[in-house]
Amino acid sequence: MTMQNSVRPFPATEPAPLRIAVAGNPNSGKSTLINSLAGTRLHVGNWPGVTVEKREASFERRDERIALVDLPGTYSLSPYSQEEVVARDYLVEERPDVIIDVVDATNLERNLYLTVQLLELEIPVVVALNIHDEAERMGYRIDVTAMERALGIRIVPTVATKGTGLEALLDAATAAAGDPSRHRPRRLNYGGDIEAAAEALMAEVLRGHPDLAGKYPGRWLAFKLLEGDRRVIDEAGLQGIEPLVARAAEHLISAHGEDVESLMADARYARATGLTREVLTKPDVRKIELTEKIDRIALNRFLGIPLFLAAMWLVFKLTFDVSAPFADWLGTVTSGPFTRWTRVLVGLVHGPAWLISLVTDGVIAGVGSVLVFVPVIFAMMFFITFLEGSGYMARAAFVMDRAMHSMGLHGKSFIPMLLGFGCNVPAIYATRTLENPRDKALTALLIPLMSCGARLPVYILFVAAFFPSRSGTVLWSLYVLGIVLAVLMGILFKRTLFRGDSPMFIMELPPYRMPSGKSLAIHTWEKGKHFLIKAGTYILAVSVLVWFLLNLPWGVEQKKDSYMGTVGQAIAPVFKPLGFGTWEAASSLVAGVIAKEIVVGTMGEIYVPVKVETPAGPAPSLSEDLREIGTSFAEAGRNAFNNVFSTAGIKSLQAEVDEGTTGLRSVVSKTFTPLSAYAFMAFVLLYMPCIVAAAALKHEFGTWKWFGVAFAYQTVLAWSVAFFIYQGGTLLGL
Amino acid sequence: MGFVDIALMVLIVGGALYLLYRSLWKKKGYCHGCDPSGKCR
Repeated sequence: MTMQNSVRPFPATEPAPLRIAVAGNPNSGKSTLINSLAGTRLHVGNWPGVTVEKREASFERRDERIALVDLPGTYSLSPYSQEEVVARDYLVEERPDVIIDVVDATNLERNLYLTVQLLELEIPVVVALNIHDEAERMGYRIDVTAMERALGIRIVPTVATKGTGLEALLDAATAAAGDPSRHRPRRLNYGGDIEAAAEALMAEVLRGHPDLAGKYPGRWLAFKLLEGDRRVIDEAGLQGIEPLVARAAEHLISAHGEDVESLMADARYARATGLTREVLTKPDVRKIELTEKIDRIALNRFLGIPLFLAAMWLVFKLTFDVSAPFADWLGTVTSGPFTRWTRVLVGLVHGPAWLISLVTDGVIAGVGSVLVFVPVIFAMMFFITFLEGSGYMARAAFVMDRAMHSMGLHGKSFIPMLLGFGCNVPAIYATRTLENPRDKALTALLIPLMSCGARLPVYILFVAAFFPSRSGTVLWSLYVLGIVLAVLMGILFKRTLFRGDSPMFIMELPPYRMPSGKSLAIHTWEKGKHFLIKAGTYILAVSVLVWFLLNLPWGVEQKKDSYMGTVGQAIAPVFKPLGFGTWEAASSLVAGVIAKEIVVGTMGEIYVPVKVETPAGPAPSLSEDLREIGTSFAEAGRNAFNNVFSTAGIKSLQAEVDEGTTGLRSVVSKTFTPLSAYAFMAFVLLYMPCIVAAAALKHEFGTWKWFGVAFAYQTVLAWSVAFFIYQGGTLLGL
Repeated sequence: MGFVDIALMVLIVGGALYLLYRSLWKKKGYCHGCDPSGKCR
């Protein structure tokens, strides 16, 4: 199979590709299936609601071009949530050539409810009976032939994570699309009076609007009108039809004592339940599944939250233990051999002294200070990806939901907030899974309080300098501080800006699964590469600009007299009560508005003009440097291994601080105290969202209003919390 | 400091500003939640 990882539209001159929509319940494996088919890297996670928008991936197969459209997971096609609207609009308006309905074989009944509705759209449907291996392990036997007979469509057992059954699935999908006239699914009969009412209503509608005949599947349109679907009425231009619909529905309501929507939903559920009973055989003796056993503890009313906090602590401890030696190694390589080589290269082209300074004291000190934390970021993203893929993140949302609900907050909001631990920007976009615009805005306002990966370099720098033996605990405390303040601010906003009740939250809990190595590698890379891209773009750009601001007016002797120093000195008094009222700290915080990692990059440029360690003898040769880099890397690997199994804390960082090295960490340890360092980290956690998050807020809500609110409350909150920490700690004699 | 130095500085600062404009404003920041072409929808 020839595949292209592409989202490009096909050129107009080429024949149109075969358009396959991939629909299904949340967490049934749609994105995984598309990734396996098209070789793309759509974000997947073992929790519902990962896909918010429809996304497209294209590839070639047997000289045929295929465009797969990944629709958001939905339980039905009723327009109650943004996902349902996106999925339904695409299917009804774009009319793909075929639908692949991804059905979770371990949850047949619930998934078939959507299948029944998809069959009404008069588009060929092929069912991918996914997660088939897990169903078999649970002792489920599904009679695929009987299911095909009952539904009148092709059913193909698949295991998307292993690529099993995908060729047969594509064969079935292309065959169904190739001859739609052969697509004759067994329709659900809603009963004589509903069917008759729908037929009569449709005849009436078509008399007045004959153009609708080719635009919408007639039977589906009639049912939607009978259900009183406002969105369909508006989109089909049928305003004013309400009296006609009311007359048609009136008889049904009086005959059955229920509204039409409920009647039809009952009929669909009955069909899904009946079909499941027909084709599914479960083992006689119900085994207590591993998932259930774990959940008895993980979701326990009293143990749930402590376990979640313990899991987070373990993540931070492991992140620090594994990555710190590699961060040290990268720091040594950057400040040593790499800077030496750069100086030689710039010297070879006879670069002026200022250019050498710009490259070493600006770019290398700025970007390098941030890049040394790449191993930390990747380690953290690895563990977060593991928790997502294992299914634990969904439990975390469930556990926190209970706590948040008891304080009047919407529990579903915690899902995008959890995404915010990686990066706040996609988390803000993920708020579109929330139905209520008020909850959406509230959640987006709270997301910047979730500590994203960009703040990690700041924490690691200060934690390594001041709290090396309690690194995991201090890091954990900052993340917990963010969550606690988000809950408190949520309560405050709910009582002021966002009054009103929240709808009930129903959370689907997927089974625990061991994420595959490939999936872990791909998604860790996808999350971590964002950091590398930032380092190569705006962190690089800001490092250059900061160097100029630190050296202008030209020839300035002291950095504090530079433009940046002057601005920093003007702002510094604001931070004095917080324990870090220096112009260096103030300037770094201002630059960090662009991206939080830049706080460290700017400190690198201000505090540490790169001094290349010149050995007493002749400079080491390239091969000696490379040998030293290789040896120290192996040493870092050994240290990381020892750290994980050591109970004595982090050897490498402790050793380096004790030795009093000349790096940024050493300067920071002399200019801050442990108390002011913690206040500084809390300030970085809480102060205004970065520019990209601000743009995301504007993009998602179409107004700068919510960014303004976020800017104002976060600035006040950050200052107040840092003040409380520093002044409170000072009073306590810390 | 000669003309070449000043021209080089202007070029570098211009390049840095353009990089900022392109990555922060035009592309609204590249993030892992974005699609593979790097666009945030």
